Amino acid sequence: MVCSIVPPYILRRLAAQGSPRFSAVARAAREALLHVGAVHAARTSAPTAPAGIRQLQPSPVNRSVFDAKSGESLPGQVVRKEGDAATGDPAVDEAYDGLGHTHSLYADAFGRNSIDGLGMPLKATVHFGRMYDNAFWDGQQMVFGDGDGEVFERFTRSLSVIGHELAHGVTQFSAGLAYRNQAGAINESVSDVFGALVEQYFRKQTTAEASWLIGEGLFTPQVEGSALRSMKAPGTAYDDDVLGKDPQPDSMDSYVRTRSDNGGVHINSGIPNRAFCLVAQTLGGNAWDAPGQIWYETLTGGSLSPATTFTAFAKATAATAKELFGEESAEHDAVRGAWETVKVKL
Amino acid sequence: MKITVERSGGIAALTRVWTVQAVTTSEKSRWQPLVEACPWDAVDDPRQAPDGQPDRFMYSIRAGQRRATLPETAVTGPWRVLVESTRTAAEESRPGGGEAGFRR
Repeated sequence: MVCSIVPPYILRRLAAQGSPRFSAVARAAREALLHVGAVHAARTSAPTAPAGIRQLQPSPVNRSVFDAKSGESLPGQVVRKEGDAATGDPAVDEAYDGLGHTHSLYADAFGRNSIDGLGMPLKATVHFGRMYDNAFWDGQQMVFGDGDGEVFERFTRSLSVIGHELAHGVTQFSAGLAYRNQAGAINESVSDVFGALVEQYFRKQTTAEASWLIGEGLFTPQVEGSALRSMKAPGTAYDDDVLGKDPQPDSMDSYVRTRSDNGGVHINSGIPNRAFCLVAQTLGGNAWDAPGQIWYETLTGGSLSPATTFTAFAKATAATAKELFGEESAEHDAVRGAWETVKVKL
Repeated sequence: MKITVERSGGIAALTRVWTVQAVTTSEKSRWQPLVEACPWDAVDDPRQAPDGQPDRFMYSIRAGQRRATLPETAVTGPWRVLVESTRTAAEESRPGGGEAGFRR
């Protein structure tokens, strides 16, 4: 049972007010609905899953950047702490800034207090390994390689990649999506969504202005490609003689059944990626507003199981949109329409 | 004996492949110990293993008739030696080296 002084059905009517005269009350009502949903989720979820609770005042970011000096021991030597001046090492300073921009998106747009929702300090290690062509979240911190210089530049160059990896942490502390098959593709897609939002929020870009590319700037000039992935047009990010062609499908018509890549988690993520982009394009404005709110609340609200399928996730986003904005809202229609376009059945 | 190391996954989800061919007696004497040092029989079926960390690499290693698939974090000790030796030899493309590229 949900306990709230103002009943949710009144909050929903207020949240659905589209007139500019009621924009403040509409926003306040949507915030209240998110809080009500989170409290309900916290009450019904296991005691060890408190991440659904939205803290009213996220604490300031607390960053530390470490240098692994081409080794693989983590975290390495601390080289920049919160408040320290820029070091002049681009990888260090890009990681420091990227952690901050990610923290800002979650705090400002979603009221989330860091990756775990409880003010977790953010740590990143740079210069990991030798010519290491990757970046990852290890369950506790970010890790960045320097790239090989032939195909990849250093991985701190892309803010969407930094946001992507930290979003794996948000997923870890909320829905706990498995990392294989469709649940894994949702896991990957959610990271691309929030990675893109980190970048768009920092650059103050509307949906129309954004590139919707993940990992732009990571490839060297030798590579025929603009980014690792395109959310707007999955399958078009690169087409290179050496690397091959971007394998992502843009709808269930070309869903890839494979054992590699944990069941194609980086491949089939193109389908839910495109769905999110379509929602944002349909509604216009900033993607971190209604579209981001819907996706964030779906991820953290407690309704997803670790083995969530595309259909279950789509249904959950539609239910969230209905809860936040109303059944007859443009937002609910946009979500349903997006999933229909990518041919995920609701 | 043909030795192939295939690295998939990572945030870029690109698959890189390194291959060496040990044909001559001296090549076999160089590579056989590296292969024999690896605990092939002790490798878990990755389909049964718990999910790995997101965006980490997965290595599929073949040497002759032997095969093993390992998450990046398990490529240590003799596995690491075999993988790194194969990558180095393939990228240097020496006689008796091999091939290095991406699986398209």
